Amino acid sequence: MIPDLIDAFRPPFMQRALLEVLILSVVAGVVGVFVLLRRLAFVADALTHTVFPGVAIAFAWHESLFGGALVSAILSAIALTLVTSGRRVDHDAALVAIIASFFAVGVIVVSRSRSYTADLTALLFGRVLTVDRGEIAQTVVIGVVVLALVGLFAKELVMRAFDPDGAAAQGYPVWALDLLLNIAIALVVVAALQAVGTLLVITLIITPAAIARLLSARIPVMIAIACAASAVGGWLGLAFSYDASVNHGWRIAAGPAIAVGLTVMFLVVVVGKGGWTFLRGLRARRVGKPVSGDSAAAGA
Amino acid sequence: MSALWTTMNTPLLRRALLEVVLVGALGGVVGVHVVLRRQSFFTLALSHATFPGVVLASVAGISLFIGGLAFGIVFAVTVHLLSRRHDLDDTSVTGVLLAGTFALGVVLQSARAGGSKDLAAFLVGSVLTVNRGDIIVTTTAGLAVLFTIALLNKELILTAFDRQYSAALGYGGWLDLTVLLLATITLVVTIPAVGTILSVELVSVPALTARLWTDRVGHAMALAAGFGAMSGVAGLVVSTQWRIAAGGAIALAGTALFVSSWVLSGQLKRR
Repeated sequence: MIPDLIDAFRPPFMQRALLEVLILSVVAGVVGVFVLLRRLAFVADALTHTVFPGVAIAFAWHESLFGGALVSAILSAIALTLVTSGRRVDHDAALVAIIASFFAVGVIVVSRSRSYTADLTALLFGRVLTVDRGEIAQTVVIGVVVLALVGLFAKELVMRAFDPDGAAAQGYPVWALDLLLNIAIALVVVAALQAVGTLLVITLIITPAAIARLLSARIPVMIAIACAASAVGGWLGLAFSYDASVNHGWRIAAGPAIAVGLTVMFLVVVVGKGGWTFLRGLRARRVGKPVSGDSAAAGA
Repeated sequence: MSALWTTMNTPLLRRALLEVVLVGALGGVVGVHVVLRRQSFFTLALSHATFPGVVLASVAGISLFIGGLAFGIVFAVTVHLLSRRHDLDDTSVTGVLLAGTFALGVVLQSARAGGSKDLAAFLVGSVLTVNRGDIIVTTTAGLAVLFTIALLNKELILTAFDRQYSAALGYGGWLDLTVLLLATITLVVTIPAVGTILSVELVSVPALTARLWTDRVGHAMALAAGFGAMSGVAGLVVSTQWRIAAGGAIALAGTALFVSSWVLSGQLKRR
């Protein structure tokens, strides 16, 4: 099994897939930590669905899918920011309404085309194994824009996450920071769309950040862990799906394999952390000292 | 109008109409409680999480309904347990498990020879292939859900509005779990008709629409059931006349009802 982890990347298309996944790991890892801090998992999920009608319309009109996704993503980021800043209706329910109506438009447009189901699956799950140089360049450009946006306003975004009232009192436009983060998420979704599909994007954004949060409470450390976790998950997932389909004849799609791998990693960390806390509690009880450090964990 | 009636008056479409009315009404009633408890995202996640169960059930040759339900219950309990940790909030846990379970379903799906057709059916539904058995399942599940809600009505409303008081009275998180279970049952019977994402739409949007018109939970449930059934019928009629996907048309009908209610109720309140 161990040599497979390197041998699998002999074919050039596997190298390109790995490169694409690694670039996305870094961008999604950074954005994901902010998503986690702001509890925006739902908004991130919403954006992966609302990109769909733009792509579907671009597909039907033979325009660039990338352009369609970009327009749709920016529009829905604005709509989501507006809805979540209002107080009139429950945010979650309003997000579901937006997701469902955007998605419904996408479904209707796609249902008029002839190769209905194949198109739908490709949009949802991407084709990471057919990524070409141009798409990698596209991902790099968007990635740099996203990292620059988030990097420039990192301090403000952290402040807004932990103390929205304080940030507003100091004169920061909270809605603008929200819009900035929503647009950053939307751009990650667009960058990853063709390569890995909407399903895997949401995994790359949320899951590594959650793993990182389990292991640390410091933001720079969390970002490093999140990027590393999704890079390892991407590498293992690609190698596993290659090995399974070439050597064992199981046709396991690469994108979902990465997503499942990251989720398993998350569950392992949850269980491992639980076991670790339990052991420390046992030892502390024997020595007669209170558990130091993460005391809330011991209490929960 | 008579031409419309002739196209609708075939056994196929009559069954489809009955099914969308049933799932629309059921989604509306359950949805009022889901929206009250702010569990909409959770419901969306649940709808995706039932997918691996559906795939496994179709491999094993047992009822898709049971497979989906089993995975939905496991998912609801797991999120409920994990989100009590201090280091993770429930939104993130839900997001992680949503993506993970759905991906598991896709992996299982891609490993078998079926291709992508079942997956598309799961995502967008196929209301025109609903059979007599599906309608019986929907009716039975609907009656069970309504009975439970009627039985627990007072407790459900109390715990939704005053957490601390109800905790002091001894009502734990099990009522939250009960609503999620009811939502799971509703989703599992709705998904064959309109697909995952739009079934979540049927659970939240009619309830939100009803909420615009009334503050009373009982009235909201009745109104939401009506709005759900109306959007089902309107969507189905539009989709058969212009040959577009029924699930999409039903969802857009629901959104249209919501937007017009928003405008109308705002106008009435201003007066």
